Amino acid sequence: MIPSVASLFQATELGQDIRPLVIGERTNANGSRRFRELLLNDDYQGCLEIALEQEAAGAHVLDVCAAYAGRDELRDMTELVRLFAGSLRMPLMIDSTTPSCIEACLRIYPGRCIVNSINLEDGGVNIRKVCALVKKYGAAVVALTINENGMAMTTEDKVTTAREIHDIAVNEFGLRPHDILFDPLTFTVGAGDETLRDAATQTLDALRRIKAELPGVFTLLGVSNISFGLSPYSRRLLNSVFLHEAVEAGLDAAIIDAAKIVPLARVSEEDREMCLDLLFDRVKDPEQGPLMAFIEHFTETDGENTDDAESDDDRRRPEQVLVDHVVDGRKEGLEDQLNILLTRNTPLAIINDLLVPAMRHVGDLFGRGEILLPFVLKSAEVMKAAVSFLEPLMEKDESEAVTKILLATVQGDVHDIGKNLVEIILSNNGYQVYNLGIKMPVETIIKKAREYDVDIIGLSGLLVKSAIVMQESMPQYEAAGLQAPVLLGGAALTPKFVAESCVPPYSSPVVYCADAFAGLKAVREFEAGTLAATTYNASSTPKRMRPGAKTAEIDRTITVPSVPFTGVRHTRDIDPAVLFPFINEQALFRGRWGYRRGKMGAEEYRDLIEKDVRPLYEDFKRRAVEDALIQPQVAYGYFPCRSEGDALIVIDGTQEHVFTFPRQEDPPHLCIADYFRTAEEGGDVAGFFVVTIGPNISEATHELYDANAYHDYLMLHGFSVEITDALAEYWHEMMREELGFVGDSPDTLTGYAVQEYRGSRYGFGYPACPDLDAHKPMFDMLKPEKIGVSLTEQMEMVPEQTTSAIIAHHPQAKYFAV
Amino acid sequence: MRHICINCGYIYDPKKGDPMNDIPPGTAFEDLPDEWVCPMCYATTENFDPLD
Repeated sequence: MIPSVASLFQATELGQDIRPLVIGERTNANGSRRFRELLLNDDYQGCLEIALEQEAAGAHVLDVCAAYAGRDELRDMTELVRLFAGSLRMPLMIDSTTPSCIEACLRIYPGRCIVNSINLEDGGVNIRKVCALVKKYGAAVVALTINENGMAMTTEDKVTTAREIHDIAVNEFGLRPHDILFDPLTFTVGAGDETLRDAATQTLDALRRIKAELPGVFTLLGVSNISFGLSPYSRRLLNSVFLHEAVEAGLDAAIIDAAKIVPLARVSEEDREMCLDLLFDRVKDPEQGPLMAFIEHFTETDGENTDDAESDDDRRRPEQVLVDHVVDGRKEGLEDQLNILLTRNTPLAIINDLLVPAMRHVGDLFGRGEILLPFVLKSAEVMKAAVSFLEPLMEKDESEAVTKILLATVQGDVHDIGKNLVEIILSNNGYQVYNLGIKMPVETIIKKAREYDVDIIGLSGLLVKSAIVMQESMPQYEAAGLQAPVLLGGAALTPKFVAESCVPPYSSPVVYCADAFAGLKAVREFEAGTLAATTYNASSTPKRMRPGAKTAEIDRTITVPSVPFTGVRHTRDIDPAVLFPFINEQALFRGRWGYRRGKMGAEEYRDLIEKDVRPLYEDFKRRAVEDALIQPQVAYGYFPCRSEGDALIVIDGTQEHVFTFPRQEDPPHLCIADYFRTAEEGGDVAGFFVVTIGPNISEATHELYDANAYHDYLMLHGFSVEITDALAEYWHEMMREELGFVGDSPDTLTGYAVQEYRGSRYGFGYPACPDLDAHKPMFDMLKPEKIGVSLTEQMEMVPEQTTSAIIAHHPQAKYFAV
Repeated sequence: MRHICINCGYIYDPKKGDPMNDIPPGTAFEDLPDEWVCPMCYATTENFDPLD
């Protein structure tokens, strides 16, 4: 178990990989005038602003203190905690010594917070009340080394007091050592108090001894106390140098203004020496002590160090700036940073030590729901650009052995968005990816797997049929003697299918991957030697519901509508703009594009949509028309028909085509054929269509992919999918009008999503008629070749952005799944 | 709170429930059974976003 604290939104480890855990200090009524004034005006929203600034500045946890004379601490704290809990990602530190106030906050805080603080000032009364609460609510607690004699000044006193507190908290109240953060107190070395000349040393030694003598506990300091009484600029430098020394001595957490931490690398050698002299009371000039020398030095240099004029980038280490470029998905200035880093790092070290860990961090953030897929792709673009810049600078033999992965979309399947997302994620996490493309025969995959000597094979496919292709190919891979584990991904796959149908025929692990990040996880497991075949446990997986009509009783007396014509027509003159009102924006933004609301508040999400998403959407709509990206074309017709059992016999002139539809195995045993009348009932009519938006947008999409514009690639692809659906929705409405169903259009887009109109359209390949073989007779009837649509050997339509359907006019006909 | 399916745009409204899956009115989204899926496109609950 990793000791952590948590907000409603995230867990934060107390022991950060890169210490210290930064605890923001500006929301303290005693420490910040701005905060105090807002509090005195009951301006809690204003207080939240400061909290958000601290979060943006990099605080991991926020200390909140509202204890101020004349104020109702309990009311202020509970108001602030409630407000902050809903708005801040970082967990809170409840800074109060009043047990009733602490308990009120613990009760309402939706996570694990830290209580600040306990001590032995009153001989052990209050500490016992607070420890009981900390135990009851499972919190963590800060312990100050204060006893009945006051604040512990010497290392010995600090350690002794810590030990006494540890005894009470752990032995009496059952807290675990890692629930406690000991603060051995910091006193200023800047006020000229002779008794405090060695204060830094006493505190640093206490840190070392507490860590050594009380195993498992954490340590904390209010770092900026070290520099009280000094000028603001010199304080920042002294705080930074002291922080560095404290971390070296074992400091885990620091209460500090996150915005004012100066990286040690930004402190000049000379300034640093001055700080160290003061901290360790090193007398170099017998005429004046280190404090006077320090003050004199910084009086001279203070003027020229108005660092507010510097940009943020300049103030941070270039390593951190590069990592931020990747995490923020920001390409501007990237090459400058790389050039700076190249003066002291090899290209390979920049990739392995900075870029790859940065991308992993991005992946982790995505995994925790803290960033959205579009932003991951922006980061991957930066990664790609950085690697492309560095690669020519690398020695040939410098590129070390990395895991090699082959990717392919299986035979008969043209869908490549899923496979390409996997390539983006894997290649930008430092792996060597061979992307063979779409419609790949088994033989080619085997040949290339041998040729490239790959470690892992990844297969993708959207179609139900592709799942079968994968299943049938596994014995072939086995017979060919391949030993690379096989990762399988695709919309039609389930862990059950993979475990039961794909795992057994192949000796090496066959692993189901739900998305690109599951693929990344599998590759890492392969490297760690822990990759295992997918297993399926029926009892732990709920059986999915099967929504749909609950009765099989279908009204046989519905009048057959009169059709405007029988046979087929082709239409090419459709203005793309008429489709826009039919675009399912919710599915586009949230589903296709990945701009999910997730943990955001309603307002924050609305802002994101209006600021980032809608402008992109408007631009695509403009380009759809101006650049002829969308060329809607339709092949459609009406045909006399009759149902016979599970089949629909469709009459096309002198020919009869048989469409056989599956019937539900469970009640109510629905089948599409049931919605049409039999010969005895007088026969019926059926509509069919094939609609396409043409090949241009697919080409534009692939150009974006080839140009490594990952973000726009995903966006344009998603747009093309949804506008194809919009065309189907639009044309279905046209056909309902032709059939005379006037005034049955839904009022809202949601109305279309839930079929608030007469009848239904069933897409081939979808749940009510999953078999794509129906495309064959339909192509005979509709001749969609005339609008540029053809079929693959797996009965899939090309171009990709094409869809087909049979239209039933029966009012009871609605979606269902077989 | 209402939730929206990110795949098809169907809105689950607790006030209405979901007759297609025999979910009575007044059932909170969080209280839907594990085996519940979108009545329109069969997406599982993790494919839903809060709406209000």
